[in-house]
Amino acid sequence: MMINLCKELYAYREMIFSLVKKDLRGRYKGSVLGFLWTFINPLFQLIIYTIAFSFILPSAIEKYYLYLFVALIPWIFFSSSLQGGANSVMASQNLVSKIYFPREVLPIAYVTSCFVNMLFTFIIIFLVVACSGVSINFIAILCLPIIMLIEYMIALGLALLFSAITVFFRDMEHILSIITMAWIYMTPVLYPLETISNVKIQKLFYLNPMTSVIIAYRDILYYAKIPDFPTLLIAFGFGIASLILGEFVFSKLKKRFAEVM
Amino acid sequence: MNPEYAIEVHDVKKKFRIFYDKGNDLKDRILFRNRNHYEDRWVLKGISFRVRKGEAIGLIGHNGCGKSTTLKLLTKILYPDSGTIEMTGRVSSLIELGAGFHPDMTGRENIYTNASIFGLTKKEIDKRLQEIINFSELEDFIDNPVRTYSSGMYMRLAFSVAINVDANILLIDEILAVGDANFQKKCFDKLREIKAHGTTIVIVSHALGQIEQICETSYWIENGLIKQSGTPKTVHDNYLKSMEIKRTEQLEKQHEQEQNQEIKNSASVIQKLPDFCEKTAIRMGTQEIIFTDVQLRNLQNQKQYIFDTQEKIKIFLQYKSNKTNLKGNFGYGIFREDGLHCYGTNIMIETGECIPIREQGELEIIFQNHLLPARYFLDIAVHSHDGVIFDDIRQVVSFVISSDKQDIGVCRLESNFSWR
Repeated sequence: MMINLCKELYAYREMIFSLVKKDLRGRYKGSVLGFLWTFINPLFQLIIYTIAFSFILPSAIEKYYLYLFVALIPWIFFSSSLQGGANSVMASQNLVSKIYFPREVLPIAYVTSCFVNMLFTFIIIFLVVACSGVSINFIAILCLPIIMLIEYMIALGLALLFSAITVFFRDMEHILSIITMAWIYMTPVLYPLETISNVKIQKLFYLNPMTSVIIAYRDILYYAKIPDFPTLLIAFGFGIASLILGEFVFSKLKKRFAEVM
Repeated sequence: MNPEYAIEVHDVKKKFRIFYDKGNDLKDRILFRNRNHYEDRWVLKGISFRVRKGEAIGLIGHNGCGKSTTLKLLTKILYPDSGTIEMTGRVSSLIELGAGFHPDMTGRENIYTNASIFGLTKKEIDKRLQEIINFSELEDFIDNPVRTYSSGMYMRLAFSVAINVDANILLIDEILAVGDANFQKKCFDKLREIKAHGTTIVIVSHALGQIEQICETSYWIENGLIKQSGTPKTVHDNYLKSMEIKRTEQLEKQHEQEQNQEIKNSASVIQKLPDFCEKTAIRMGTQEIIFTDVQLRNLQNQKQYIFDTQEKIKIFLQYKSNKTNLKGNFGYGIFREDGLHCYGTNIMIETGECIPIREQGELEIIFQNHLLPARYFLDIAVHSHDGVIFDDIRQVVSFVISSDKQDIGVCRLESNFSWR
């Protein structure tokens, strides 16, 4: 079953590529600077944070702008994958109701385009890390693709899950936007996990798949250290679980997509 | 699955859930829980058929009979509630042409997007690109954005992509109405060509002629079941007959309603027309002789409004006159609904003499009909031998000709083909 799906998705790889391309190009279509916005947007985000957290709201954390930035970019990938991915099947209902292709293509393409967007933004991250004088640990950088892949798995699994549910339950889209709003505060993106003084509650945070992911990103890019093996393992476990759950629900529901559209 | 077959459909059933008032969001679901009444409608009630590799089949039936649902099941857009469908090889569908076309992208870019939706890789598309462009006849426009295309150009491009996918099984839904006659012919030739290469084809169409030209077998689906299958010609003849019966019934009903309407309306007409006339009839003449009834009948003397092209039709006339020393030249004319004068004659032309008029009289004219399907009007008149109009009613009655033969024109010229 799973193998057949993989084979089929491989056969439809060109469709995934072309959807990703269309999405990336379409994002800034018609604007004068076009694709440059992919870089300008995070750059200015960073400048604003730097100003905000240096003068208006100084933080005790050293180079807080960087501390925030290396966690925020992966977070934005995750949250946009979740929200946009959940809508990906509905958004293509004219295709789904008229033509056959493995339906998984739609969330995969959406999450992938968010992922590619994050990769571009990482160029800015590397530039900033290099300029900010934080030491760079090259062995740690080698772990970066692993944690990116793990985050991709988690995001894709959830996108599969929610995109299928959204077809039958349209409110999911709006519920998700509230969930993601709350989710960022349940993840140590804006603050270190140590802020939570109660150790028991701190442990609870690890039930959130994104906690380990964000900690790993920060270890690599901010602390310049190799992430703990348990952190990676937990994250990987969540990635696999998320993919299995997502595809399980998706495959159950996808046969009836065309009927309710 | 037997390797001889490309498609095996076994006892497939499909139902749709029809919600009377569907609540899609949470509020509706909780607040109006009792509103979620639904009804299961079985669109397919157990369909089985097999298609050999390289065979072409047609699915016919009136709207809503389940033929398009069958095609959607084959495409795997829908899935059956019970039964199995087995297919071998790559399936391409000409159901939705131009799926995923982006208006701002060029024709060439859209070829890539569209073909990728059919599961082609970049390499495979590269290989076919030139052929697709050639077939679409859009060489000069291929690098323009698709939004600048005319709808004909758009369809041509879309069709070219779909047909060049090189599928093992091709599913077609009513799309051979693409572009001008020239391009249609080209599409048809292409279909024949890919069929000759061993592609299995399933066509859903109302254009029975197209199915007859390309398919070996036709399946007539009615109310979710296969009513008949066999050589297209046989199946189609039966199908058309059954359609004709339904249509005739409807026409009769309609005619009855019109007649009723007329009776109601006639009261308001200033110059009152007799009941036997159409409300659009025009009457003139000296009224020395007047028609008191005009009917169309079949040879069994039953009043009738719908006749077959081959049928003999009887015009039944009744008249009265207050003079008895007159001689009358009776005649009739037939006009098609669009005003074409189809035929006209009178008794002088036919027999060379007028007939003596009595106080009350009847007259019957029987003619062999050759007119082809359309709505017609009958004109009726009685003149004196030197052309004084006693009574003349234009469009006195209307009638309809139907036929299950597909010949075209004004009337049927009995044709015999012979060849050496």
